[in-house]
Amino acid sequence: MFLTIFKHEINYWLKKPAFYIYIILFFTLSLFTAASSAGIFDFLTITTGSSNIVNSPSGVTGLINGLTVLIFFLFPSIIGASIYRDYKSEIHTILYSYPFSKANYLFAKFFSAVIIVVCILLTISIGLLIGFRLPGTNPDLVGPFSFITYVQSYFVYIIPNVLLFGAIVFAVVTFSRNVTAGFITIILLMLIQGIVSGVLASNEDTRYLAGLLDPYGAEALNYYTRYWTVAEQNEQLLPIKDLIIYNRLLWLSVASLVFGLVYKYFKFSQNALSFSFKKRQPERATKNNFGNIIRVTLPKVAHVYSLKQNLKVTWKLSNIDFKYILKSLPFIAIVLVGFIFTLLNLWEVGQLFGTKTLPVTWRVLANSTGFLGFFIYIITFLYSGTLIHRGKISKINHLTDSTPIHNWVLLVSKFIAIIKIQLALLTMLMVAGICFQTFNGFYDFEIWHYLYELFVLNLVSFIIWTLLSFFVQTLVKNQYLGLFILLLIFIGIPLLSLAGIEQSIYKYNQGPGYSYSDMNGYQGSALHVFFTYKLYWLCIGIVFLISASLFWVRGIPNSFKERLKIAKFRFKGVTAVVFIIFLIGFLSLGATIYYENNIVNTRISAKESEQLSVDWEKTYKTFENAAQPRIVAVNVNMDIYPNERNYRADGTYVMVNKTDQIIDSLFVNYNHETSTLNFDKTNELVTKDTVYNFHIYKLKNALMPGDTLGLTFEVKNRENTFFRRRSPVIKNGTFINNQLFPSFGYNGGRELRDNKTREKYELPPNELRPHPSDSSALGNTYISKDADWIDFEATVSTSEDQIAIAPGYLQKEWVKDGRRYFHYKMDSKILNFYAFNSARYEVKKELWNDVNLEIYYHKGHDYNLDRMMAGMKSSLAYNANEFSSYQHKQARIIEFPRTAGSFAQSFPNTIPFSETIGFIADVNDNEDGGVDYPFAVTAHEIAHQWWAHQVIGADVLGATMLSESMSEYASLKVLEQKHGKHKMRKFLKDALDSYLRSRTFETKRENPLMYNDGQGYIRYQKGSLIFYALSDYIGEENLNNALSKYVEKVKFQEPPYTTSIDMVNYIKAATPDSLQYIIKDMFETVTLYKNRVVSTNSKKLDNGTYEVEIEFEVSKYRNNDLGKRYYGDVAGDTLSYKTASMKRPILSVKLNDYIDIGAFDDDDNEIYLKKHRITKIHNTIKIILDKAPKEVGIDPYNKLIDTNSSDNRKELSN
Amino acid sequence: MKLLIKNLTKTYTNGVKAIDNLNLEIGTGMFGLLGPNGAGKSSLMRTIATLQSPDSGSITFNDINVLEHKIELRKVLGYLPQSFGVYPKMSAQDLLDYFATLKGIASKSDRKKIITKVLEITNLYDVRKKNVAGYSGGMKQRFGIAQLLLNNPKLIIVDEPTAGLDPAERHRFLNVLREVGTNCTVIFSTHIVEDVKELCNEMAILNGGRILKQTTPTEATKELENQIWTKIIKRDELETIEASYNVLSSSYNQDNTLNVRVHELEQPSDDFKLASPQLDDVYFIALKSDQA
Repeated sequence: MFLTIFKHEINYWLKKPAFYIYIILFFTLSLFTAASSAGIFDFLTITTGSSNIVNSPSGVTGLINGLTVLIFFLFPSIIGASIYRDYKSEIHTILYSYPFSKANYLFAKFFSAVIIVVCILLTISIGLLIGFRLPGTNPDLVGPFSFITYVQSYFVYIIPNVLLFGAIVFAVVTFSRNVTAGFITIILLMLIQGIVSGVLASNEDTRYLAGLLDPYGAEALNYYTRYWTVAEQNEQLLPIKDLIIYNRLLWLSVASLVFGLVYKYFKFSQNALSFSFKKRQPERATKNNFGNIIRVTLPKVAHVYSLKQNLKVTWKLSNIDFKYILKSLPFIAIVLVGFIFTLLNLWEVGQLFGTKTLPVTWRVLANSTGFLGFFIYIITFLYSGTLIHRGKISKINHLTDSTPIHNWVLLVSKFIAIIKIQLALLTMLMVAGICFQTFNGFYDFEIWHYLYELFVLNLVSFIIWTLLSFFVQTLVKNQYLGLFILLLIFIGIPLLSLAGIEQSIYKYNQGPGYSYSDMNGYQGSALHVFFTYKLYWLCIGIVFLISASLFWVRGIPNSFKERLKIAKFRFKGVTAVVFIIFLIGFLSLGATIYYENNIVNTRISAKESEQLSVDWEKTYKTFENAAQPRIVAVNVNMDIYPNERNYRADGTYVMVNKTDQIIDSLFVNYNHETSTLNFDKTNELVTKDTVYNFHIYKLKNALMPGDTLGLTFEVKNRENTFFRRRSPVIKNGTFINNQLFPSFGYNGGRELRDNKTREKYELPPNELRPHPSDSSALGNTYISKDADWIDFEATVSTSEDQIAIAPGYLQKEWVKDGRRYFHYKMDSKILNFYAFNSARYEVKKELWNDVNLEIYYHKGHDYNLDRMMAGMKSSLAYNANEFSSYQHKQARIIEFPRTAGSFAQSFPNTIPFSETIGFIADVNDNEDGGVDYPFAVTAHEIAHQWWAHQVIGADVLGATMLSESMSEYASLKVLEQKHGKHKMRKFLKDALDSYLRSRTFETKRENPLMYNDGQGYIRYQKGSLIFYALSDYIGEENLNNALSKYVEKVKFQEPPYTTSIDMVNYIKAATPDSLQYIIKDMFETVTLYKNRVVSTNSKKLDNGTYEVEIEFEVSKYRNNDLGKRYYGDVAGDTLSYKTASMKRPILSVKLNDYIDIGAFDDDDNEIYLKKHRITKIHNTIKIILDKAPKEVGIDPYNKLIDTNSSDNRKELSN
Repeated sequence: MKLLIKNLTKTYTNGVKAIDNLNLEIGTGMFGLLGPNGAGKSSLMRTIATLQSPDSGSITFNDINVLEHKIELRKVLGYLPQSFGVYPKMSAQDLLDYFATLKGIASKSDRKKIITKVLEITNLYDVRKKNVAGYSGGMKQRFGIAQLLLNNPKLIIVDEPTAGLDPAERHRFLNVLREVGTNCTVIFSTHIVEDVKELCNEMAILNGGRILKQTTPTEATKELENQIWTKIIKRDELETIEASYNVLSSSYNQDNTLNVRVHELEQPSDDFKLASPQLDDVYFIALKSDQA
């Protein structure tokens, strides 16, 4: 019997077109995904350059898992509906009287459906396999085919997930007899997965739990592979280890349990399972319809068919549909879970070093609308299908369709019902947000902001998609296929860029976005352009809705041919006129935007932009080393017009030929064609290049060594238009820097970085920067190529209500013609690196040791000013005491809007500081609170006044170690002084995790710290880890002494500039011989440890002390620049350790290392901490302690870089 | 009041010709459309009820061109399909309010007035707050009538309404239909000859998409006066009788003998007795002659 049912089911699907449609869709999608990741569209768009192999085990599993998420949306209609179908066709009334067992029936139904799903899934791997190898893909990105990779991802992840999700959906749909409930279940499962991976997996302590609980199994895998380097990702098979096995077993048991429950409670009954909370008194039903002849006289009532009445009916019907959805159990479930999810999501996101951000409205909105917005779209697609097909499914359509109601009334009422559902969900978001704020004691509710963003900016996109959804769902008879098609369109549209379709006007509901800043509201984004695009999409959306009304099924469903005929018949009168008006509106708006973007302005596609970089290099690289005069003094007038959003500046450069060569040609980068440039020496414009904005002038009389040249320039933005804002000036919070002004020489920053891409364009490999040992490359700092140290003076003007700031000291402030002027002059030499800020600021001022400390902040953002002040003071004190004196008499922090970025940047005595970092941090000073990062970031930026503005590295590899790593080190030390070691550990733990995670995304190479290419994760996170450990190894005082000697030697130096080699030499000199190896480990190589405690034992001795035996392993390995492991420089240089029970030996670089051994009591107080000399991988030592230890560890504070920091400590086994 | 159907043709995509160049004129009163299952009754009725488009032909009701101005017809149309469902979890009262709204009754009090009345007429008033989805077959059919009455229709189309009703329900149903149908056109399809006999002043017999005969029940039986003969035979004799005469129907008696009715202009033989013609006879003759 099992086989009969099973075969029948399989045959049913094999005959259904939907099955083949799904197969084709998934095949195409995976083919496209694979081919585009392997670079098939490189001829259309930018070159796919990466050191990642796209078909590596982790790559393939990632792709398949991603595509499988889409498959989940087929479950309700394939697996869920397998039994429901029998009810719907009412064949169950006959079928259930047949002699087969429940087991036969259920198993056959379930497994046949699972087989069908698996068949569809298999097309994914076929699509991938072919896609990777389509002609035109880049063979460098594709590795050899590995069968086991596919087998693994199917059998470990995908098929168990199909069984799990399938069983749940099967249960839900079978019992509720409601396919929609199946979809809602899928959404709920995805939300739960979102909570698990968003909340649990982001926290180190709960990562294991997340790995266990993630129903997809992805977090379990991630638990092992999260720190895999690029080489490991490319080469290694995915592990099948404990946690992954537990996870899979757990969820397979859940699946069996769910299926068991179905088996237990399923009955061959005629009625659906229903829940009732009220117990009804049973009644005996008797016939009472024996009355006979009656007189039928119907009361006179008025029948109204006016437009007004139709509109009223539309509204009324929309309420009926709205209530129908609102009252349905699945919808209530999604609202509840969505609410909880929103709260949890708000809880986690926005943390920095364990410190939360205040729940200001924009942050609440940003964190809640993203993920949940996606579900609102799915609900829209799902329920628009439900409402459109509801009449047909309830079989009430023949009654309603023969009433004198217009099609548009039915259609529009359902449309409005969906909009109301969206409004309900958005209201839920808003309530969740306000609850969250209240709960956090944040009472500054910006209701208008919620309303505007949710119910205007967000809603318009929902409406646009609803319009398309109605069209698709009307056209497609099967609402679940409709949902699936809509999902594909929704997910597919952003992917079109991969195939070179870049312009928003070709991609439904695409267009510019918006972002909000407390300082500047939505002013930073061009909302009028946003709305223009939305209007454009609304026009075509309405055309879709009218098309839906043309194809609307009234009465008996027809063949497509007939529907076309009916649509043609309906296309007349008002319908036709409105259709044409909106179509014209769409086309003309589209044409306007196209004209604006392609004709009025040149649009540069990603592909063209790549070509421009190539041409730039090929044309001008020859001038890279041409001698140029260097700027020695700058005097500028910068006029900022916040209301008009314009700027105009003029200025003079004084330049000197510092070289010993004669200079006759000047290579000038300028802002754009409105710039004017006047040299004070006769010259001739030799080439004028308006593509790259690069001019070459020839001086009539060449500039002799030591000669001076003057340049007067004027720069202003081109006029703003409706579509384009051409100046960085905003209404409140302008932040612009000296890149607007002319600069000299070839700019290498425009070159293509990726070597594979370069090879394609016949360019030599790019070394990014010269090696620091290249003495010919030390002529420039990494900040500027055309200046060393300059005199600086600026007059900045702005509107009367704003304060404008530039580096230097305020000389004079005045108001003239309704504008406010500020004259700044710097008293000492600075780098050619300055910025201008203007906003309506509040100011906090303090005087500290003759230094004026000032914070310019946005009104209301005064939460952390004292912490920032403290950070300035501590950092000034530390750096001045330890390294050298402060070169200025003032330090200023200036807030700028988040729309300009989330960073702080140190200019001479001036530190622009984004509103998101620090100003709205919610610091918790408790022991378990996070890091006081307003304090730490301020300390870091202040440290830059030394580490960048005194000591500046040459533009070679490793330069950022001298600025960023050192500032990070200084900030850490200041933080340690202020907040103690405990918070320190939090900071370092975060830095370690962040370093290890970031390096897995490296696409080029990871160099050792002193030769780094400037990646953030090396210069900040690794830098802070290394310098902190270094100060621990050789002593803070010793290290600072060495550094201070170094600063003394190199500060404010003229070229040749210093390099990381110089600094490391100073450190080397201060390092004892026994520890010289750390210089190699920390600076010269990428070295990682694998330390772990194997076992511990303690016994109390007669004299009351404790003897603790610790068995532990120490090994270290190195990574090459792709993350490939190696264990020694030459053969035989490797240690190896293997016991009988081990499959593979532990390898290590030769050890002669000093590593902390520590012991801790019940309150986590240190009772022993000493560095021991380690020479072997496997060690056992005994230490004598006065107190009973609770925990012991090797490198217990995780000072060394170790991918598994949790096995460094072990509790004592008693 | 006149419904005029001209040259109506409808072929389904599976090749079935459901309506085959059909012409029909229907006036005021009860019009019975008699035909076996699959004759095209429902297709015809759905087409008149604007739920289906014909391939060709025209339908007019009074001065309404039904195929062009569907909404106009729907304003005066009351339609009860052969089978229908309802939205779950909605009471009769709420559903009727929904239909009343769809049928253009704007004022709330008007809706309440008419809903109360139709509930009384159909004897559903006591159960008005119960979900229609839980109604028995008869109650649901009465609900169908109730919704049909809401717009005080001039053209009523009911498709096999009595199928599956118990005798009491059927009687009551036909009585109500008769009452409301006095001043309008009622098209009533059925395969139960009895219904037509009891109710209709005009009738047509439909098979294979064509009208085989349009007549009145009285007229039709009158035509067969002296042409219907009956005889009680043994079961074994049936085949012989069938071979020799035009047998219209045969039915068992309790003693296992058979009652046969034959259509012959002359008395077939002495043992045949003259019977008074029934509407059934008309029906069978029409169907048989179509086959020939």
